[in-house]
Amino acid sequence: MFGWNGKIANVYLTEKKTEIVPLSEKFLSKYLGGRGLGVKFVYDLVKPGIDPLSWENILVFATGPLTGTTCPTSGRYAAVSKSPLTGSIFDSNSGGSFGPELKFAGIDGLAIYGKAEQPVYIEIGNGKISIKDAKHLWGKNTREVTRELSKLGRVACIGKAGEKGVRFANIMNDYTHTCGRGGLGAVMGSKNLKAIVVKGDRKVSISDRERYKKYFQDITRLLVASPVSSKGLSEYGTAVLVNLTNYMRILPTGNFRFSRFDFAEEISGEKINSVFPIKKTPCYACPIACKREVRNTEMEVPEYETISMFGSSCRISNIQTIMKANRLCNEYGIDTITAGSTIACHSELNGEELTDKKLLELVELIGEKEGIGEELSQGSMRFARANKRPDKSMQVKGLELPGYDPRGVLGLALGYATSNRGGCHLRAYMIGPEIFGKPKLVNRLTFSGKSGLVQVIQNLFSAVDSLVVCKFALFSVGEEEWANILSAVTGIEFVSESLLEIGERIWNTERLFNLKEKFSNKDDTLPERFFREDGGVAGRNIKKEEFLESLLEYYRFRGWNRKGVPTKEKLARLNILN
Amino acid sequence: MWREISKFGKKMVQCGLTHSHFGNISVRVGNRLIITRSGSMLDEIDENMVVELDLDKPSSFDTIASSEAIVHRHIYKETSALAIIHAHSPFAIVQSMVSSTNLLIPTDCESKYFLHEIPIITGGVGSKELAKNAAHALKDHKGAIIKEHGPIAMGKIVEEAFVTICSIEHACQVKYFTDILLQRKR
Ligand SMILES: [Zn+2]
Repeated sequence: MFGWNGKIANVYLTEKKTEIVPLSEKFLSKYLGGRGLGVKFVYDLVKPGIDPLSWENILVFATGPLTGTTCPTSGRYAAVSKSPLTGSIFDSNSGGSFGPELKFAGIDGLAIYGKAEQPVYIEIGNGKISIKDAKHLWGKNTREVTRELSKLGRVACIGKAGEKGVRFANIMNDYTHTCGRGGLGAVMGSKNLKAIVVKGDRKVSISDRERYKKYFQDITRLLVASPVSSKGLSEYGTAVLVNLTNYMRILPTGNFRFSRFDFAEEISGEKINSVFPIKKTPCYACPIACKREVRNTEMEVPEYETISMFGSSCRISNIQTIMKANRLCNEYGIDTITAGSTIACHSELNGEELTDKKLLELVELIGEKEGIGEELSQGSMRFARANKRPDKSMQVKGLELPGYDPRGVLGLALGYATSNRGGCHLRAYMIGPEIFGKPKLVNRLTFSGKSGLVQVIQNLFSAVDSLVVCKFALFSVGEEEWANILSAVTGIEFVSESLLEIGERIWNTERLFNLKEKFSNKDDTLPERFFREDGGVAGRNIKKEEFLESLLEYYRFRGWNRKGVPTKEKLARLNILN
Repeated sequence: MWREISKFGKKMVQCGLTHSHFGNISVRVGNRLIITRSGSMLDEIDENMVVELDLDKPSSFDTIASSEAIVHRHIYKETSALAIIHAHSPFAIVQSMVSSTNLLIPTDCESKYFLHEIPIITGGVGSKELAKNAAHALKDHKGAIIKEHGPIAMGKIVEEAFVTICSIEHACQVKYFTDILLQRKR
């Protein structure tokens, strides 16, 4: 087998047993790896209705056929489970070097079952997997744990937030890289699993080196030629977006009450570059290198999403404070979007302006799950419900919306509503076409033509998340190039259509999981605020009829019925057994 | 300002000087430039389809500007231009590919009088090399043709650049047909 290792490790924490089992090429070419592989496992093995924080949940780490090759942006892996924040199936995706190292260790991934009696960590060496005592690591935050274990290999771990069951706790790998958003860190914590450390030295085998070299060059050339990847992201990181979204009036401000922040300049990519000496800290095999830190300080430069949530949405204009909040989140292992949005929701509910000091205090209280932090650690949906104001939580299916006001990017609005993991921009990054004009600029203020586009991009992203490569490469590299290089690596012929079909299979599998969890078409919607209020731009509230029409059109494009349920024919065509 | 850009964007496409997805137009206002956005259609420009940039320092807004913004910026810095148009007009591209020299001499009377000569320059899309070459050529010419790519022209107003683009295409078209007929005669 080329590309894949053809093996997955099963780790049974309750029984303290591990085994390595083969995965067939037929199976792998149907789901690729990463997200697809994890989704298939979770769909098959997690029973409907279970508590995501109980021993019955499983957690899958999976690499893809391109992970660990030299293919640009291929340093990624996915973690998949049932989310304690949304109750939906949930995949998170992270860069750094942990993913490739798993691959080098001779496995494609690991599936973790049950619950350990005492805190443990998993150690993976070449072909050997063991469950080790982690009592000495329990109660420590991510930087310390990573430092302690890094002599044994690459580390993915949880901080205190994961241990304590903060519903949006992250898994952190290689110090600062995150499997974010859905609380998979809390799933790890619920299993008493503190960390995974992996070391390997096997190279990924490539079927056709000559062809691989050619496609490798094609992809590299495209990445260099595109200003978004080679200039924008490379020069400013994702913070490049702050001034842009503010200018276009889609920068969430004051918990999405407004769409422009008077102090955006103060928290922008330009500002960061002018104040701090920047060092790039690229992921494995990535020429874009959007990840950055402040030189000589190990202080991470926050991502756009973090800046928009802790900054404009909490109305904090001090970039240093945002950086500190970001750092705290990374230490505790907390999702910055949900943390920022939940704090913004809290601030709107109690009518108090946040101070810099208060913001940092709240983040810490969430991490420790103490005082008001106990309530906030449930996420904004549960917090707002408990306070009898569910409308003040800016979420879809329980997941807080990221840094783009949907009223000014209607394709993304539809993307938020139909996302299988809740309010997320990364299922179909419509900011590409609607803001950056990549691959093609489309009118962001209309639903017209969006439903078809959204579902194609969702399918494409599902496939790309399974290769696993970075979504940012999609600004310049299309499905054809990915299909080409995948064929060269695996020796199996893939074309654009087959890649999109795999993506569609994954998407429909996720949908089926969520339907069994009692999600319905009623959950494919947005917070009422966006239909009722205009966010400060006259007439910009989303017209509900237009939205619903677009949603029905989306179901039609998907081959689903009017209730958003996949038809038998569709499932048969995609080869999914229900 | 976008209205002026919009007006001539429409004209360019109507006249067949470029297909709507190609080419870009900009205007200089003080030390700012307003330029069409990356991926915009030249015959559908409205105020959302242009972006304002600082002439001296690139910013995050450069990421949504036409990928040739770097060329426009350089021309504004080096010349007296206040407006620039770049098109993908077919006859100009053809002439730039068959010409054996890097200077095209128009043969028709009007273009001869108006343009004197048209430099042919080289450089990849959005490259520093192209920016330098274009600024150099436009120091003492109204317009130039980027080899295998298309004409670029400047003026004090958009209309002036537009006239030059038309004139270059006209000169190239006339030369194209004359060359064919002359060859047949021989
Ligand atoms: Zn061009």
